[in-house]
Amino acid sequence: MSRYRFLWKKIGWAIFTVLFVVVLNFFLFRVLPGDPVRSGTRDPRLKKDAQEALRIRFGLDKPVINCFETLNPIKVGDCAINPFETQFFIYLRNLTQGELGFSFHTNRPVAEVLGARLWNTLLLIGAGQILSIVIGMIFGILAAWKARTSIDYGALITGLVAWSLPTFWLGIILLFWGSNNGFPIGGKATPGTSSYPFFYQVGDILRHMILPTLTYTIVYMGEYLLVMRSSLLDVLAEDYILTAKAKGLTTFQILKDHALKNAMLPIVTIIAINLGFTVAGAIQIESVFSWPGLGGAVYEALERRDYPVLQGVFLLIAISVVLANLIADLTYSFLDPRVQAE
Amino acid sequence: MAIKAAELKPAVPSSPLSGFWRTFSKNRMGVVGLVMLVVAIVVAIFAPLISPYDPRTSKGLTSSDIYNAPSAEHWLGTDDAGKDVFSSFIYGSRVSLIVGFFAAFISIVIGGVIGIVAGFYGGRTENLLMRFTDLLLVIPDLPLIVVIVALTKPSLLNIIFVIGLLGWTTTARIVRSQTLAVKSRKFVLRARAIGAGNRHIILNHILPLVLPLLVVNAILVISLAILNESTLSFLGLGDPTAISWGQMLNFAFGRGAMSAGAWWALATPGFGIVWVVLSLTLLGHGLEQVLNPRLESHHLMPGRPTIQSEAEVKSEDRKRRKESPVLLDVRNLSVQFLNDGSVAQAVHNVSFQLHEGEMMGLVGESGCGKTTLIMALNRLLPAAGRISNGYVYFRGKDLASASEEELADVRWSGISIVFQGAMNALNPVRTVGDQIKEAIIKHIPTMPPGQLNERVVELLELVGIAAEHKNHFPHQYSGGMRQRAMIAMALSCNPEVVIADEPTTALDVMIQAQILELLDLLRKKLGLAVIFVTHDLGVVAEMCDSVLVMYGGVTAEFAEVDTIYNLPRHPYTQELLKAFPDLSQPEKRLISIPGYPPKLDALPPGCRFAPRCPLAFERCSTEMPRLHELGDGHLASCHLVEAS
Amino acid sequence: MTDDFILEVRNLKKYFKAGRPGWFSRAENFIHAVDDVSLQLKRGEVIALVGESGCGKSTLALTLMGLEEATEGSIFFEGIDITHANNAERKAFRQRIQMVFQDPYESLNPTQSIEEIVSEPLVVHGIAPNHEDRRERVRRALEDAGLKPADSYLHRFPHQLSGGQRQRVVIAGALVLEPHLLLADEPVSMLDVSIRAEIINLLADLRESRGISVIFITHDLGTVGYFADRVAVMYLGRIVEIGTMTEVLDNPQHPYTQALLSVIPVPNPRMRKKRVILQGETPNPIDLPTGCRFHPRCPVAFDACMTQDPQLIELSQTHRAACLLLKK
Repeated sequence: MSRYRFLWKKIGWAIFTVLFVVVLNFFLFRVLPGDPVRSGTRDPRLKKDAQEALRIRFGLDKPVINCFETLNPIKVGDCAINPFETQFFIYLRNLTQGELGFSFHTNRPVAEVLGARLWNTLLLIGAGQILSIVIGMIFGILAAWKARTSIDYGALITGLVAWSLPTFWLGIILLFWGSNNGFPIGGKATPGTSSYPFFYQVGDILRHMILPTLTYTIVYMGEYLLVMRSSLLDVLAEDYILTAKAKGLTTFQILKDHALKNAMLPIVTIIAINLGFTVAGAIQIESVFSWPGLGGAVYEALERRDYPVLQGVFLLIAISVVLANLIADLTYSFLDPRVQAE
Repeated sequence: MAIKAAELKPAVPSSPLSGFWRTFSKNRMGVVGLVMLVVAIVVAIFAPLISPYDPRTSKGLTSSDIYNAPSAEHWLGTDDAGKDVFSSFIYGSRVSLIVGFFAAFISIVIGGVIGIVAGFYGGRTENLLMRFTDLLLVIPDLPLIVVIVALTKPSLLNIIFVIGLLGWTTTARIVRSQTLAVKSRKFVLRARAIGAGNRHIILNHILPLVLPLLVVNAILVISLAILNESTLSFLGLGDPTAISWGQMLNFAFGRGAMSAGAWWALATPGFGIVWVVLSLTLLGHGLEQVLNPRLESHHLMPGRPTIQSEAEVKSEDRKRRKESPVLLDVRNLSVQFLNDGSVAQAVHNVSFQLHEGEMMGLVGESGCGKTTLIMALNRLLPAAGRISNGYVYFRGKDLASASEEELADVRWSGISIVFQGAMNALNPVRTVGDQIKEAIIKHIPTMPPGQLNERVVELLELVGIAAEHKNHFPHQYSGGMRQRAMIAMALSCNPEVVIADEPTTALDVMIQAQILELLDLLRKKLGLAVIFVTHDLGVVAEMCDSVLVMYGGVTAEFAEVDTIYNLPRHPYTQELLKAFPDLSQPEKRLISIPGYPPKLDALPPGCRFAPRCPLAFERCSTEMPRLHELGDGHLASCHLVEAS
Repeated sequence: MTDDFILEVRNLKKYFKAGRPGWFSRAENFIHAVDDVSLQLKRGEVIALVGESGCGKSTLALTLMGLEEATEGSIFFEGIDITHANNAERKAFRQRIQMVFQDPYESLNPTQSIEEIVSEPLVVHGIAPNHEDRRERVRRALEDAGLKPADSYLHRFPHQLSGGQRQRVVIAGALVLEPHLLLADEPVSMLDVSIRAEIINLLADLRESRGISVIFITHDLGTVGYFADRVAVMYLGRIVEIGTMTEVLDNPQHPYTQALLSVIPVPNPRMRKKRVILQGETPNPIDLPTGCRFHPRCPVAFDACMTQDPQLIELSQTHRAACLLLKK
């Protein structure tokens, strides 16, 4: 199959997945038991007409989809319901306009709430990912190169232990230690510094980032270390490494020109697969360190049972992961010349 | 046909299961993990007996009991409600283990079934199932779990189901690819050829081979389920009536343990999670090492220094067989492999001289040591090997004791190797031209880039590959082409000696003829000396000037090619010729040699061929024969030859 | 169709679709693995099927076994048309045709004991439901395959046996159902030279003692010189020459056969001969050459070869070859 057909197939599938997520997102929040209104409002003693008013306000009085029995959202005619008046259609229409509903808690548009948070999460995840990849890879390479020595065993155990740590707990421990040793106890910046000089603010944010990034790095470095180590061990046992040695190349040259390129291919795949876990980590770390990102938004929305926000965050997270996966997939296919031969 | 040596292995059945257990018990990581896990399970089961208090009641607790530091009554202090942390910790193990195992069980059953069905039946079914799996795989699972649990009841059962129903995707993928792999193996084809139906094949062939992988994956799934449950509980979605470690952390974190400085309430529950997850991780890792053993060494591990184990090396100059100069002079070369304390003698006292322009055939069957011998020449032995005796003289130096720098010079530019052109001898992600260029750059670093490219093209065309293939990857070459490319690469630095290691073994007879013709042509044109390693006596007769026959790591016989074939003196050579098909005498019935080649770590005390030799007598099984000279450079290691 | 022949193959074709089947698969590129093969085998006869990779010999064996469905043509086994047999019929004739594969290291399930492996055919076909009875048959099959004493092998596992022993186990597994026809697909090419002979001799002895017919597929003609009665040479899905062993070895008529024979090395340096080395590789079985499919590589091709596709021409009662040169 030519390269282009391959590309379009992948992109097409990603689009389909996004559509699936969009539909899933809608149905999750409508089909699952639990009336959003009753649970979404603080006062359980709300009178009936007040509940009705809330329902109309959030469009929950409209039929969910057209012809529920046949589960056909857009069928016209038989069910005598205007498909354009169903919740499903309204949801889709709002989405295309970038509207994700209104927060139960603040009554502000969800999109507005999430906008800034997305960048904060990307900042944290970005820093953490880069560090964990770099550190994990370096130690993984070292471990494989010096296989069966104490360096190898040490790195292996470190990787395994790091992988076994629950992210949120590591955050708690670091925060506990840190707060008793001069580190900020959470948040992205010290309150009241928004008018300070730019560099002060940058420094402040960086100080706040140290512990959460450290948590992130420790937990994820483990997996990269283990994967890099096993990938390189496999590569170094291959015949072409012996050929390279027979050609008279030095160990360093062989590592650089033959082994690493091949050993890194699985890392790209792992980065992609890890994206789901990365998000899970972000949720945990942001909750512990009160970092104002998407993960923190999930935590707060859960506490307050703010379903529109929860729904919006879920959608945003899921779509980002799908897109990132696509990018990783395409990158891999460019790196490995054997791929389109499928 | 009498088989002389008692080569039948002992009748103790070594089933895969008992073999597995034996190997596993030696794997330290796995055993530690198993022990840790057993401890956790025991604690969970006997919680009421171990725990000093019952954390399920709050009877008799007052506000002064909150966040008390560890003391004699409360070994790990008290929590935000005044309850004993240690007791909660003990009981907490139950929830984690129960959720972990049951949720994982659901995931594995679903994933296993989907994987096997998709892998085995293929076609539309597989497509559909895998697409669905991929969909779920991409959607990040924690957010999804969080959303679903948030919208439904946070009960333990619910959590188990949600985690279980969303956790099967990786299992399905792994099981599917393993099913595909097993399905294409020959014994499944054989089962079909016998007449077995799908059910029989799945139960008797697919399942037993998928199971090990499934078990390793199961362990991973359990640990993920436990982590997921604790995260859920920490986020406030746990079952408030169940004491879980995550729940304990939720309360502690949310109810001021930090500001109260109550580290015991924060550290302890997490430690429990780490203990259980780590035990599973270690166990899983250990299992994987046992079930999917990776080679113990790789090619970049440091080699072992050469030693001289025999007091005296025969240094008499052998009479020159030819007038032309000797390029390679190997004397009494011995190679050992060291593994876990045992020493295997792979090559013992082999000597030969390679003259300029000569093609020497190195003949022997599996386990005879011929590959080990040629790898030793350039010091390319695996990490467990070392030269234990002898010298390898090339260009006036002894390669056996040379330093790495000296070797790096000689390798390829002096002695190069044509490896078997199988897929993996060339790096699959670099172009062929690049890999040839690399060799040239290493040994002639001053060649300008334009000239480099020309040289690469020149080499490719020399072996009959069109220039346009220079920028193609190895997988785009056919088998014959790959072999030619290996030859081109071996010649790139104008070596004096080329070692061809079974270069035509995997190729069709016609392609083999092409490659042999090419080799012969090049040898004559470039004046090379060649060592041609093979088990094919026909090819050796066709191409070589002299022949070295190896058996059990020693020289059985060495002579000019005509002598070997028409006047062989060593019984092994004679028997081997009788076993080898000869199209010029097609009606001649072939006679095989009874028994099998000796195992390198269990060599017979006398002549290594004695157990299978039709002419053996008493002395043969006690005394190893010397290498006798029969005139004109003809050598044979056999007691029968001694008289002459 | 006569009952003299245990196997009769008529104009058999097996094509595979090239490329992966997708949701939008493009049309018809076929791999012509087996392209019009006809063959007859008498009881107790041994025929060698010789050819290089891509010639279709393995596909032919799989199609005869029913492991692949024939695209066209017919197969008659002991007088019955088995070309498009249903599952039950297939299972029935599989008792009488058995196959031996090339790779002794892969043909045996590593988790099964030797007894389980050899008794599997009996279990599948419901023969000898009594445990002791089954074991007795397994013993006999193992001993017939040269593994004595059989009892010491029953509880062992494949990894404990050598290549030659494993191949004997495969043969025992094939013998336990007492078949009439054995399809051996390169049964010795992965074994050491000194051991090959014992397996071939075993098959020869079985032919003598049990009257089993054998189709012996190989790329190495030398191994079956004394064992096979007839030889068929295949190229790109067709039989290009067929005859008795003597006829084909002493008097090959097809240029491909001649080239093949000239290239097979003889272990005698005094007999280095003039080799006819064909250039290039076997072409793709998807894009077949026009006319005679051998003409692009044929050293003696002439004009007509590019347009006319030669059929098998009778040179004697038993000897046939498909070459336009023979028409003259």
